[in-house]
Amino acid sequence: MGIPIKYNLRSMWMRRVGTLMTALGIGLTVSIVVIMLSMVYGLQSAFTEAGRDDQLIVVRKGAQNETNSYFNRNLFQTVRFLPGLAQDDKGEPLASGEIIVVINWPRLDGGETNLVMRGMRHVGFALRPEMRIVEGRRFEPGLREIVVSESVANRFEGMQLGQSVEINKSQWKIVGLFESDGSAHDSEIFAAYDDVAQAWLRPIYTSILVRAENGQAFQALRQRIDDDQRIQLQALPQREYFASQTGTAAPIMTVGTFVAICMGIGACFASMNLMYGTIMARVKEIATLRALGFKRFSILVSFMIEAVLLTLLGGLLGCLMALPMHGITTGTTNFAGSFSEVLFQFRITPFILTAGMIFALSVGIFGGFLPSLRAARIRLIEALR
Amino acid sequence: MKFFRLLSKNILRNLMRTFLTVAGIAIAIFVVATLLTVLHQLQNPPETPEGSLRLISRHHVSLINILPVAYRQKISQLEGVEGVVGQMWFGGYYKEPKNFFANFSTQVEDLFKVYSDLQVPEEQKQEFLKDRTGALVGRRLAEQFEWEVGDRVHLISPLWVQFKPELTIRAIYDAGPDDGQSLYFHWEYFNEGMGRTNFVGTYTIRADDPERVPQLAEQVDDLFRNSNAPTKTETEKAFALSFVSMIGNVQLFISSICSAVIFAIVLAVATAMAMSIRERTREIAIFRALGFKKRVILSMLLSESVALSTGGAVLGAVSAALLFRGVNTSMISAGFLPELRIGLATIGLCAAIGVAIGFLSAGVPAWRASRTPVAEALRKIV
Repeated sequence: MGIPIKYNLRSMWMRRVGTLMTALGIGLTVSIVVIMLSMVYGLQSAFTEAGRDDQLIVVRKGAQNETNSYFNRNLFQTVRFLPGLAQDDKGEPLASGEIIVVINWPRLDGGETNLVMRGMRHVGFALRPEMRIVEGRRFEPGLREIVVSESVANRFEGMQLGQSVEINKSQWKIVGLFESDGSAHDSEIFAAYDDVAQAWLRPIYTSILVRAENGQAFQALRQRIDDDQRIQLQALPQREYFASQTGTAAPIMTVGTFVAICMGIGACFASMNLMYGTIMARVKEIATLRALGFKRFSILVSFMIEAVLLTLLGGLLGCLMALPMHGITTGTTNFAGSFSEVLFQFRITPFILTAGMIFALSVGIFGGFLPSLRAARIRLIEALR
Repeated sequence: MKFFRLLSKNILRNLMRTFLTVAGIAIAIFVVATLLTVLHQLQNPPETPEGSLRLISRHHVSLINILPVAYRQKISQLEGVEGVVGQMWFGGYYKEPKNFFANFSTQVEDLFKVYSDLQVPEEQKQEFLKDRTGALVGRRLAEQFEWEVGDRVHLISPLWVQFKPELTIRAIYDAGPDDGQSLYFHWEYFNEGMGRTNFVGTYTIRADDPERVPQLAEQVDDLFRNSNAPTKTETEKAFALSFVSMIGNVQLFISSICSAVIFAIVLAVATAMAMSIRERTREIAIFRALGFKKRVILSMLLSESVALSTGGAVLGAVSAALLFRGVNTSMISAGFLPELRIGLATIGLCAAIGVAIGFLSAGVPAWRASRTPVAEALRKIV
């Protein structure tokens, strides 16, 4: 027969200060783990949640990303009139020739970083349905107007609605704010293609974003662009293209894994310490339980349960402590890709909270086993004497 | 000193608890020492007398933008300029994309004047300068790929797909601004491969006097202010720090983790000390009854906790220092992280953190224990 859980709960209550302090210590560790996971997930989903399954991004052959790509302007006309492209209601093919340039820009909280400025065709908005203008309006070509995400407006100097800024020796006006649910678009600032190409004296494209009519056309289009030796371009599925950038999260992942493993071991030690203490103080009680007929195994299980309850309480506290971080925006640089800032949000999901609780559970199991074994091995006669 | 025996007896009375507490602190401080060192080394790129003479000039808009090759001549004519080296980040890899390392096409005329900290045998230096397809490779990099002088190396770069340099290693350098982890090859070769487009990414400028450096930065920028490619010139150190700024708010990230870790240890040690003190309530009362002062008891309990946590902290920091001596974190992270060298200052800081943890965690229980009335304590059932 098992020992009622009530017994464990009461014992924990008896030592509530020690229990709470240990749980809080484990909780801090859990919250670090949860917050790190939320950063990694937030950064990865900035890439994975952008783009559509029926869109291709066309870059120069051999270029792994847009930053390394550039090609002649007339290639846009070739791609634009390929068969299989979706059209908007005016019969215009959904193909946006684009140029990206990188600008070094000051952050509001100090320091500078690189920002991607994208010149696109107006149809580019239709190709990015995730982008919703929340204030102001879209840019008009020829006026050197730009739209930026709310995150960029909150993070960078001079990027607020209505401001006029000097970029590469020309004046630009911020006419609209958009949001795109923390996707990679949030990290970029958008203007008309011709305005950017002129201001930078670069009459080239770095990429073309196109949408296919349907799944079949998608494959055919991709094949056709890749195989055409004259144009020397390649078409990458937009989803895959974004997903290939998730390596940006690797440094956070490394730090997170290092801290999680070390602190996980530390948390095991802390819970072992408490469990040994509580068991040694209850030797007589445990011996009495044995005298009442409870088996050694029941005692082992009972103390394992107590250890797990302790760390789960810690896990719960940790998850609660981590929650306020949810939704906060921060940024890092995609060094291997665009060499520019990627803005992302801390995203705490039920899955991440579960991972935090599993972490806490494992601390309880590993930390509780040896002390519980010790409790189960208490010799009845000696203890009661 | 007469309490020393008592102190050590008390620490050793529950070996399991002492072990768990000390090991817990050690692991946590191991994490703290490592992260603080990463932060410190990121924020303080190595400063050498050579480095403080150098300026780096890039396009004002961003590092991605390129500069005309003609700038070299103009910068060289400024007073106080000893040499100018135009460089272009090549971003190539060796055989497979995972073999990624720093490599530059570089103008060689002033290379050894500007980077006089590149230590190369004179003979190899001449061989490198003579061979237009020659490469100059850092010792550490050469060791990583087991390269020797005379070996052929093909580089592939996703940035410059039309040009695949076939290089011959002509010289191996020690030290240098990057501690021997880069590859340099002739810019002339690159420029030809690119169809004589005549551009570079950055100019490294060497001043004749560190005093002149700030003034020179302004002079260079003034020179090109009204051109199509205005420059931004800063010291080598400031240039290095601009990369750190790009990583994001590393300082906040690391200091938040460290504070959470330290707070977690305080709680763990406090629990351990509280348990240990509670188990000794009767004993403490007997000491009091024997005439020991409250103050003495308080300081005895506090020194016990401080000894434990400082011991654990020093253990953690020293083991981190020893471990990172054998691990080249720079190579592992492809140059992203500096090599971790945990110095005496960090170990000292960790010891100080240990002392603080000792006081913080034992303060309340020790104070309470020293204050409990003797009669009550003796009666108390533990």
